Amino acid sequence: MSAVTTSARASRARIFLRHETVLAALLIVALFGLGLFNDRFLTVDNLLNQGRLMTEIGLIALPMTFVIITGGIDVSVGAMVGLCAIVLGYSWKNLGFPLPLAVVFSLAVGAAAGLANGLVITRIKVPAIITTIATLTLFRGLAEGISQAHSVRGYPDWFYFLGQGDVFGVPTQLLILIIAIAVFGVVLDRTSFGRTLYAIGSNETAARFSALPVDRVKLTAYTLSGLMSGISAFVLVSRVTTTRSDMGMGYELDAIAAVLLGGTSVFGGSGTIWGSVIGLVMIQLLKNGLALTGVKGDATIMVIGVVLIASVLIASSLQRRRE
Amino acid sequence: MSAIALFRAPAGRATLWRRFFTQETLLAGAIIGLAVVVGLINPRFLAANNLADILLGNAYVAVAAIGMSMVIITGNIDISVGALIGVLATVSGSLAVAGAPIVVTWLAPLVLGVAVMGLQGVIVAYVGVPAIVVTLGMLSILKGGLISVTGGKWITDLPVAFHLADIEIFGFIPMPVAIMVGATAVAAVWMRWWPRGRAIYAIGGNAEAARLSGVSPRRTLVLVFALHGFFAGIAALLFATQLRVIQSTTPSGLEFTIITAAVVGGVSILGGVGTVVGATLAAVLIAEITSALVFINVSPFWTHAVQGTLILATVIADIERRRRRLAGAAR
Amino acid sequence: MRNYLLTTAAAGAFALAMNSGASAAGWDGADDLPTSPLACDASAPAAPAAAKPYDGGKAVNAPDKASKEISLVDVPKLIGIGYFNATSKGITDGAAELGNVKAKTDGPTEAKIDEQIKFIDNYITSGVDGILFAANDPVAIAPVLKKALSKGIHVVGYDANSTPDAREWFVNQAEFNGIAKAMMDSMAKEVGENASFGIVTSTFTTPNQARWIAEMQAYGAKCHPKMKWLETVEAQEDNVLSFNQATTLLNKYGDKLQGLFGMTSVATPASAEAVTKANLCGKVAVIGLATPNAMKPYVHADCVKSVVLWNPIDLGYAAVHVMRAVVDGKLKAGDTSVDAGKLGKLNVVNGSEILLGPPFIYDKGNIDKFDF
Repeated sequence: MSAVTTSARASRARIFLRHETVLAALLIVALFGLGLFNDRFLTVDNLLNQGRLMTEIGLIALPMTFVIITGGIDVSVGAMVGLCAIVLGYSWKNLGFPLPLAVVFSLAVGAAAGLANGLVITRIKVPAIITTIATLTLFRGLAEGISQAHSVRGYPDWFYFLGQGDVFGVPTQLLILIIAIAVFGVVLDRTSFGRTLYAIGSNETAARFSALPVDRVKLTAYTLSGLMSGISAFVLVSRVTTTRSDMGMGYELDAIAAVLLGGTSVFGGSGTIWGSVIGLVMIQLLKNGLALTGVKGDATIMVIGVVLIASVLIASSLQRRRE
Repeated sequence: MSAIALFRAPAGRATLWRRFFTQETLLAGAIIGLAVVVGLINPRFLAANNLADILLGNAYVAVAAIGMSMVIITGNIDISVGALIGVLATVSGSLAVAGAPIVVTWLAPLVLGVAVMGLQGVIVAYVGVPAIVVTLGMLSILKGGLISVTGGKWITDLPVAFHLADIEIFGFIPMPVAIMVGATAVAAVWMRWWPRGRAIYAIGGNAEAARLSGVSPRRTLVLVFALHGFFAGIAALLFATQLRVIQSTTPSGLEFTIITAAVVGGVSILGGVGTVVGATLAAVLIAEITSALVFINVSPFWTHAVQGTLILATVIADIERRRRRLAGAAR
Repeated sequence: MRNYLLTTAAAGAFALAMNSGASAAGWDGADDLPTSPLACDASAPAAPAAAKPYDGGKAVNAPDKASKEISLVDVPKLIGIGYFNATSKGITDGAAELGNVKAKTDGPTEAKIDEQIKFIDNYITSGVDGILFAANDPVAIAPVLKKALSKGIHVVGYDANSTPDAREWFVNQAEFNGIAKAMMDSMAKEVGENASFGIVTSTFTTPNQARWIAEMQAYGAKCHPKMKWLETVEAQEDNVLSFNQATTLLNKYGDKLQGLFGMTSVATPASAEAVTKANLCGKVAVIGLATPNAMKPYVHADCVKSVVLWNPIDLGYAAVHVMRAVVDGKLKAGDTSVDAGKLGKLNVVNGSEILLGPPFIYDKGNIDKFDF
């Protein structure tokens, strides 16, 4: 479970370990509890299905972890998903790109959008939250403008394999997510890029003085955010077989909730991919389990809110007691 | 003027021109400039009732932006305010329909707003949970709770006396405008001249220094959140009394609009800088842009793209202006 | 300063470039589906029963629950607006009347298709017998509905359709062109053939609204060619935003605007309020879809003469009866009508759609009889 922590950051690692294990323990308790309440929850079928449904948010939560570790934030991810979805459909149907090229093009647009965010944040130095609130409107607006309220449908069958197919019984997009989790986890934990992320979050000025490539790393993090939004859009369009300009609305808050729940500090400098994954799984399974138990949507939303505050509260009290 | 002058000696030569060149004056200029440009294209834009409608329809955003500015100046943020306004409006309307005295229906959202936001402030200040987490969680609680309790049933049959927004002061100033201007003025004065008000900037700028000079950062932070709740309550009142029905759902995206107003108004998310006058002006400007885009026939499909671009342009300009002003200080 | 001016100039240029002039130049937001305007006179042809072969989907290996108790879930576009509160009430009433149906309404708090899909998916897993839905997007909702069918769950839609093969039946409140005709004729009757009007809708991507507007445009071009369509504004499902947008339209066009169409149960009362606040009652007509309670003040004040459309309670009621008939085997592919309790026999049209009936008009005389 705690494979990501290394002995190099011993004392800090213990604190991280603490939050993630607490969270994981809570998750297991929740799973058992919900599983007791109804028998359809802890079935392989259901759990795999939930894995399928949480992929879009999951793919976004990974780079979001990077971004928040640097002390930034990106609330435009949902809009980027919408933009990439529209671009995918539009370039295929209206510009006549072959579908694979359209997919690649939409990923490129996503990365470009993320890069734009990064440039404004690193070059012009507008704080991340403000930049991304503005680009949230801008990207969504671009999606609306390009699509002119048209949807694009009628994709060839192979296109749906990603969103609706299975590989040896495991939903295709879930496999993609697992691979992404592994890659992001390794990058964060084992590479100098990852270490620089932490350094920036802990003390950006010191990081600059240590000649770390602060701007380049931040730029990469935001670009990744855009790129993963593009992949998320690809999965989404494949799953629902159509494009809409309002796709991805609200994804940013879901992703941020998962990351913060997972123990990443919003002030930067700490957090793990593993924590974000646990946070993601916890929110998804809570929503699912509660729904299966018969709890209606509005009450579920409330529970998630309480869980979020409570977990971070518990974790931060534990952290403060250690200090 | 800008509170920045209170805490940092202007670096370099602060000429009269530079001091005049604040975000507030820029915004005021933009408001007037835009009105002129659009008026040239479609003179109906400048009709008194249109300008009045722009102000009236969005006064609640300006009032909410006052509280939000304070929160942002302390270096925090709040994304639950939109949901809170929805809840407070519903509470107020429900009380009115249930026959409570009108004064009670008007005071209830204020009290409740202070309570809810104050609670969040306590969690942020004393327990140490980051504001974004608390308010993100509270957003969900309020949103879900509102639907759970009301079932989404709209509140109709409001008593006529309830409609605060219909009252006119001195016979011609509509109440929402009066409240907007009045609240901004009171808040601005308080934050400039009262020690407790100035302390808000101190916490945002340098909490340690603030504490050393006798300000209790934690208590002040709770006060700030409570005030934010108070202004949210006023905003909810304006929101609820505007129309004859109250839609018992949370207006979506409202918190982002309010944050945008505060930020475009010159409040810095890094804390310590900005004024509520700027936030009010920015809220007016944003409302004006929304209306202007319809008047100059911008394709409705591109409206949001244009809005986003303008907001981005404004914040970039603000940062640039500020950077040049503090030429010499580290970022 | 220079940057500021540059970026503002860029934004301004962008804005003007996006200037589309009068946006009435061909509304095509309905995803290029063909329009079929009705005849201009009052003789609207009665919909021929089952002119098309049945094109609905089929529940695979559905357990036989004829006459046994079934549990249903109703997943509307969103919860928390008067319209779907009313359909939900209709479903509850119908379920109570039938006696062997347990129905509950659950759905997203915002009209998002992705959320709606997740709701339906959870209910599939929890094993309901039947799903009633009003889709946020006809194509996007199809995969999850087909999954329901493949698991033997019956699927019946109402208000907003999905692709036909994703559900067994769809209860249609009225044909798109019928609604368009009713709306345009009402407007013409109130403000004359030379009137100009604006439209306040939710979003341009809401399928029903987009189709209605397209049909309205086609019908207008055919039967009321002198009526001018000025502009359409969108306002989500937000009351205050709808009010502000309607007010902006009124201010922009002044007395060149004689009528406002409200395309949703949120837009219409807000438009009526805008007209009232601007003291234009009687000078600007407000026509649209709305629930009675929200419109009572305006109808009583003679600001709005009539509120068109159908009875959403009946719509929900019919939906649950159709579901019961499907489960009991009383409604099968190829049938031409179905028995819907107190609504009598409803006709099957377009292969697998069940038509609720003629539009229902709420006016000063009858609006107080309704409480939803």
